[in-house]
Amino acid sequence: MSVRIKVHNLSFRYGAMEVLRGIDFMVQPGDFVGIIGPNGSGKSTLLKNMAALLTPSAGEIILNGKDLRRWPRRSLARQLALVGQERSAGFNFLVEDVVAMGRYPYQERFSSPKEADRRAVERAMHLTGCYHLRERELFSLSGGERQRVILARALAQETPCLLLDEPTSFLDLGYQVELLELLQSLNREEGLTIIVVMHDLNLASRYCGRLLMLSQGKIYACGMPEEVLTRDHIRSVYRTEVMIDPHPLDGSPQIIPFAAGAALRQNHGCPKVHIIGGGGSATPLINELVLAGVPLSAGVLTVGDSDWATARRFGLEMVEETPFAPISSARHQDNLALIKGAAAVVLAPLFIGPGNLLNLEAAATALEEKKPVYLINEPPVEERDFTGGRGIELYRALIEKGAQLITRAELGQIARPEEREGN
Amino acid sequence: MRGKRLLFFTVMLVLAIAAVLWATGTGAIRISPGAVARVFWDLLGGGLTPGDTAQTIIWQVRFPRVILGFLVGAALAAAGAAFQGLLQNPLADAYTLGVSSGAALGATAAILLLPETGLSFTFLVPLFGFCGALLALFIVYQMGRVGGRLPVVTVLLAGVVISSFFSAMISLAMIFAGEQMRSVFFWLVGGLSQRGWTYVAIIIPYLLIGLALLVYLARDLNIILLGEEEALSLGVEVERVKKIVLVAASLITAGAVSVSGMIGFIGLIVPHAMRILIGPDHRFLYPAAMLGGGIFLVAADTFARTVISPAEVPVGIITAFLGAPFFIYLLRRHREKYRF
Repeated sequence: MSVRIKVHNLSFRYGAMEVLRGIDFMVQPGDFVGIIGPNGSGKSTLLKNMAALLTPSAGEIILNGKDLRRWPRRSLARQLALVGQERSAGFNFLVEDVVAMGRYPYQERFSSPKEADRRAVERAMHLTGCYHLRERELFSLSGGERQRVILARALAQETPCLLLDEPTSFLDLGYQVELLELLQSLNREEGLTIIVVMHDLNLASRYCGRLLMLSQGKIYACGMPEEVLTRDHIRSVYRTEVMIDPHPLDGSPQIIPFAAGAALRQNHGCPKVHIIGGGGSATPLINELVLAGVPLSAGVLTVGDSDWATARRFGLEMVEETPFAPISSARHQDNLALIKGAAAVVLAPLFIGPGNLLNLEAAATALEEKKPVYLINEPPVEERDFTGGRGIELYRALIEKGAQLITRAELGQIARPEEREGN
Repeated sequence: MRGKRLLFFTVMLVLAIAAVLWATGTGAIRISPGAVARVFWDLLGGGLTPGDTAQTIIWQVRFPRVILGFLVGAALAAAGAAFQGLLQNPLADAYTLGVSSGAALGATAAILLLPETGLSFTFLVPLFGFCGALLALFIVYQMGRVGGRLPVVTVLLAGVVISSFFSAMISLAMIFAGEQMRSVFFWLVGGLSQRGWTYVAIIIPYLLIGLALLVYLARDLNIILLGEEEALSLGVEVERVKKIVLVAASLITAGAVSVSGMIGFIGLIVPHAMRILIGPDHRFLYPAAMLGGGIFLVAADTFARTVISPAEVPVGIITAFLGAPFFIYLLRRHREKYRF
C-alpha cells in the first residue's frame, strides 16, 4: 500500500482567473508534505486538484502511474482520503455512524458491515482517541473532538495517503498540536503519506518533512523547512519582516514576525552597514538597525554567542568563528572582505580579550580604506578591556584616525545620511 | 441508540396498526377495533361474505380510504424528509419548493383538457401531475442554480416564486373551466373522501419507485450531508445522487397530490418530529417518516370525517390544527438539543 503522486505542469483556472500555473512536484510514499502560502495563493485549489474535486485546466496529476482523471471515484477513494474545510451546519449524526461512513468505498449497497469494516472503524476511533465518544452525537462534541471524528472517518477509509485542508484552522493551540502529533505518528508509525495545507508556518515547519510554498499560483519554494522558510522568502511572499530561530528541540525554523513588509521601506536602497561585535554587545544595535530597514553584515562572531544568534535570526551575512578559539587570520580576512562591501562600520561596545583583538584591527583597516567608522563607547572601553591595556590603546588609535564616537540614540542617523549631512 | 431505534420502530408499528384498526372502525356506524380485526381475519381466510354489512363498509368504504390516507401521509412525509435533507434546510418541502403546485397544475390540466374516459383518465391524472412536478423542479433548479451549485437561499426563493405562479395559473384555469370547475375544486381542496381502491392502485407505483430510490440512496445522502467535497472523495457520485433524490421525491409528491390534492403540513413537520426522535440518519428517517406521516394523516382524516358528521372538514385544516401544537411541543422540549 503506497502512493506516488506526480504533479506535472498543472494549471487551473476558475473562469478567466488563473489560480494555479505550472505546478510541478512529486510526492513519495511516506512523505509528510505541507502546502503553505498566503491567502489566495492557490493552496486549497492545489489540494482539491489532487483530491480530484477539481479538474486541471492544463497539465496532469499522476497517481501510481495513472492520470487522476482516469481513476474511478470508488477506487480513488481507496487511495486518497480527504479531510476538507467545509463543515455543514446541521445533522446530528452519531460519532460511530460518521466514522463508519469511511467504509463506503469498500461496501456493497445494503450489505451489512463485514468484520474488516468493523475492525477498520474501531481502529480509526482508537488511533484518533475518539472511541469513547462513539455513542455521542456530533453536536455534543467540541470543535477539536469533531475534527478528530472527521479524521477518524478518513482513517477508516484505509488509504495510503491522506489529504487535509487546513485541519487546524478553527482549533485552539492544544488541539492543533494534538492533531499534528497524531498526524506525525500516523506518518512515522503507519507509513501514511500526508499532504496538508497549513496556515501556521511554525507548526508546518515543526511537523512537515517537506514544504511547498505557493505564491500567486506558482511554486515559490520547495524543500526542507529550513530551505523554504527563509527571511527573504517570507518577506517577498508574505510581505512581512520576520526573525527566524531554530526550534530548541529539533532545530526546525521558527518564525517571529516583527514588522509589516511596507514598514521597513523608508530605508530601502540604503547602503550596507557592517557591525563588529560579540558577547551580546551588538544585539541591541542589530535590532535597532534591522527595524530601521538598514541592510547589515556582521563579524567576526563566535558560534553560539548571543550576537551570533541575533545575526542568524535576521539572516545577516556574517563571519563565524569556532567557540573558544581566537579569531583566525582566515576569518579576519573574511571580515575585511565584508567590510569592503559595506558603506560604513559600527564597532559595538564589545569586551576586548586577546582572542578578538583582530576585530579592532578590522575597524582600523576600515578607516584606512576611508570608510566611516562609528564607535559606541557605553560602557567606556576602560571597563571592557581584558588585555592589560592593549585593547584600550587600539581603541584610542581608532578615535585618533577619525572614528566617530556616537551614542546609542544617534545610531539611527547612520541610516539617514542626508540628515547627518544636514547637521 | 441502537436499542432506542428498535424500541421506537416497535412502538411506531404498533401505533400504525392501532390507528388503522381504530380509523376503520370509526364512522357513522361504530365498529370496535376487535370486530374490525375479526373482519380482516375473515377476509384473509375466506374472502367476502355476501350480505355482511360490516364487511362491506369496512372493505369497500373505510379501509381503502384509511389505506390511501396512510400511503399519502407516508409519501408526503418521506418526500419532505428527502427535500429537507438534500437542501439542508428545515423549511424545504414539496410546497415551498413549488413541486406540489407543479403537480397540482399538471393534474388540473389533465382534468380540464382530457375528456373523462373512466379508468385510463384516473391513471393519467397522476402522470400529468408528475410532469407538472418535474417541470416545477426543473424551473426551480435552473433559477436557483448559481455556478453549478444549488445554494439553499436561491432555491427556496425560486420555489416560492414558482409555487405562487403555478397557483395563480391553477386559479386562472379554474375561472375558464366552466362546469368542470367543481371537480377541479374538490380535488384541489384535498381530501380522501370518495376514494376507492382504484386510487390506492394509482399511488402505489409512484410510491414504490420513489421510495425505493430514496432508500437506495439513503447512505449516500447521509454522507453528502456532512460535506459534499468529502463525499466526493469517499466515492459518492454527489451530483447524480442529488438529482435522483430530487426526482424521486417529486415522483412521490406527484403521486400523493394526484390522488388527494394539496394536503399541507405533513411533509414539513413529520420529518422534523422524526428527526428529533431518532436522529438524522436517512436509513432510519425514511421508514420513521413514513410510519409517522401515515399515522398522522389517518388520524387527521378520521377526525375530518367524524368531527361534524355527517359533513366533512377538509383534512388539510385538521393536519394544520393537530400538527402545529404537536410540533411546537416537540420543538420546545428538544429546543436545546435539536440541530436539524
